[in-house]
Amino acid sequence: MSTVVDFPVKPEARPYLDAFGSGDPGRRARDPDWLAGHRKRSLARFAELGFPSRRSEAWRYLDLRGLQEAPMLPASAMHVVAGMATRAQLAEVGLSQAAYRLVLVDGRLAPELSAVEGVSPGVWLGGTATAIAERPGLVRSAIEAPALDTARPFAALNAAFFADGFVLDVAPGVELDRPIEIVHLASGETGGSLHTRSLVAVGAGSRASVFETFAGLRSYWRNDVVELRLAAGAELARVALVEEAADALHISEMLAVLGPTSRLASFVMLLGGRTVRHEATVRSEGEATRCALHGAFVLSGRQEANIVTTVDHAAPAGETREVFKGVAAGRAHGAFQGRIAVRPGAQKVDAHQLSRNLVLSPRAAIDTKPELEIYADDVKCSHGAAVGDLDEAALFYLRTRGIGREEARRMLIEAFVREAVELVGSPQLREHLLSRLARRLAMLEE
Amino acid sequence: MTAVVPMLEIRDLHAQLADGREILQGIDLSVNGGEVHAIMGPNGSGKSTLAAVLAGRDGYEVIAGEVAYLGRDLLAMPAEERAREGLFLAFQYPVELPGVNNMYFLRTAINAQRRHRGEPELDAGQFLRAVRAKLKLLEIDQDLLQRAVNVGFSGGEKKRNEIFQMAMLEPRLAILDETDSGLDIDALKVVAHGVNQQRAPDRAIVMITHYQRLLGYVEPDHVHVLQGGRIVESGDKDLAVELERSGYGLLGDAA
Repeated sequence: MSTVVDFPVKPEARPYLDAFGSGDPGRRARDPDWLAGHRKRSLARFAELGFPSRRSEAWRYLDLRGLQEAPMLPASAMHVVAGMATRAQLAEVGLSQAAYRLVLVDGRLAPELSAVEGVSPGVWLGGTATAIAERPGLVRSAIEAPALDTARPFAALNAAFFADGFVLDVAPGVELDRPIEIVHLASGETGGSLHTRSLVAVGAGSRASVFETFAGLRSYWRNDVVELRLAAGAELARVALVEEAADALHISEMLAVLGPTSRLASFVMLLGGRTVRHEATVRSEGEATRCALHGAFVLSGRQEANIVTTVDHAAPAGETREVFKGVAAGRAHGAFQGRIAVRPGAQKVDAHQLSRNLVLSPRAAIDTKPELEIYADDVKCSHGAAVGDLDEAALFYLRTRGIGREEARRMLIEAFVREAVELVGSPQLREHLLSRLARRLAMLEE
Repeated sequence: MTAVVPMLEIRDLHAQLADGREILQGIDLSVNGGEVHAIMGPNGSGKSTLAAVLAGRDGYEVIAGEVAYLGRDLLAMPAEERAREGLFLAFQYPVELPGVNNMYFLRTAINAQRRHRGEPELDAGQFLRAVRAKLKLLEIDQDLLQRAVNVGFSGGEKKRNEIFQMAMLEPRLAILDETDSGLDIDALKVVAHGVNQQRAPDRAIVMITHYQRLLGYVEPDHVHVLQGGRIVESGDKDLAVELERSGYGLLGDAA
């Protein structure tokens, strides 16, 4: 029996509506009224939008037909204690020395794998489900804040179905020097989709660093939304490493709001997953913000990945730096879409974007699409984009030193991506990212 | 008495570019272990093409002739195998490798060559000790080794880095392509000293140069003049001096 609805419904949304009506009694029991209402409104919004088609500019480089044809309904399993395979995965992808670690398995906090005790005073770190009860004001304002009128179908579906996620709330004047590690694992046993909703709020003058890893086994669809809020003078570094299972679909959205003189350093590296999309939207709302938005993807086989960024300068004197490196081998397809907008009156904005890409085989492709929208007259904005093959002169130079062609190619590809990784501030994270990158490159041409 | 196999034996070598222009038009050259040869010639005479063909660069087609290196067919080997067999080319324009750390690069190269020879790879400590010893020889700042290969190096630093690599790789046959170009006199002396230190009975060095300048510091056993893709004259070090005085125009068909 279908649920009775009084709003327009796209056909592909119907199974999700049915799942919402019948699924997860635990969720409904836990949800406060405001959240229950928000979930319903979000679901209606998703039903109206359906999945995006390639006709939509922001989605033109990604093939989502699989999702259109076969629904991947939210995993409804309650939390089960992590099995051996999950623990092995954590050992493989986790940082060797994490000060604080929060692990989510199949979209839910796994306390037995997490170590969040003893975080500095003034810092709250825990699961989103817990935060809804313990930090209701903060979570509610974040979840209700984004307007539903924009076309964000995955975010709407996420709001309807998210079970958990993480919340990091840093009070003003607190400096957290070591990265907080968040590991999102998927057992692959649930099939279906995993919806996680997270929030990082950094208080005035505070400093924090978050390292998120996404990994899993078998087949699943992850739909992750994280919001970053930086108060005046706050500093946040967020590094995301996507090493999803070879058959996984990963759609993630990062939404950042920057207060005056705050500094955001974001780095994302996409290495694993069949279809991966990372969208970052940064709103520079205060004056003199600094935003570094860097990243890379390394693709082979039939992988598809898409990095979509928007930096919206709504206030004067903001600075944006973007460096994105793409590598595609085999029959892979990558795309970078980078939009920088400067609103009227946002004078003295200084923004630079660079998108450099390596296409390593005749059947691989990378699209890059910079987009500057400038409505202020006293700004410095520029971009550069390039797509090419490895430098033959460099390859020859390495070979004349006795390094074989394959090893020389790998060295140059690694060096190419390394230039972006070097922009990560934390030496510990840089080293970890480089070792994961090397491991990925060793399997590149298979 | 056993017959001495020459280090390098080039016979009637003809090579052309992809567009069909024949650059080498019958080179004959024989180089033995312990010898230093200088190949001189005006611009466009084929000097750098000869170096490129010997090192195995793509884009040149050998249309006739043969090159034996230690009795083996050099032209049949890919570039990396030539290097592993002990051939070294110091580039006229050393290539910048952004993101490739100099130390990592050098260690990878040395270990690729050691593996080829069936020798154990150098560990980090052994490698570092070898590096320190050779750095002094070329007055190279250790900081340079922590940077990306040749990126942001001055012209002189790049050339010294080439000779430093040669010292680390200990080749049997080194071809130095215009290693003197772009060097001031102090840098030239350092580079020449580095080369002289590497002269050895079982090693041959072929210096390709436009000018006689370098030959004042690294004294060759043999000097050859390359013109129009052929060696038109050979002699001892006095030939270089004579060339410096009279110019290439007086030799054979004017360039």
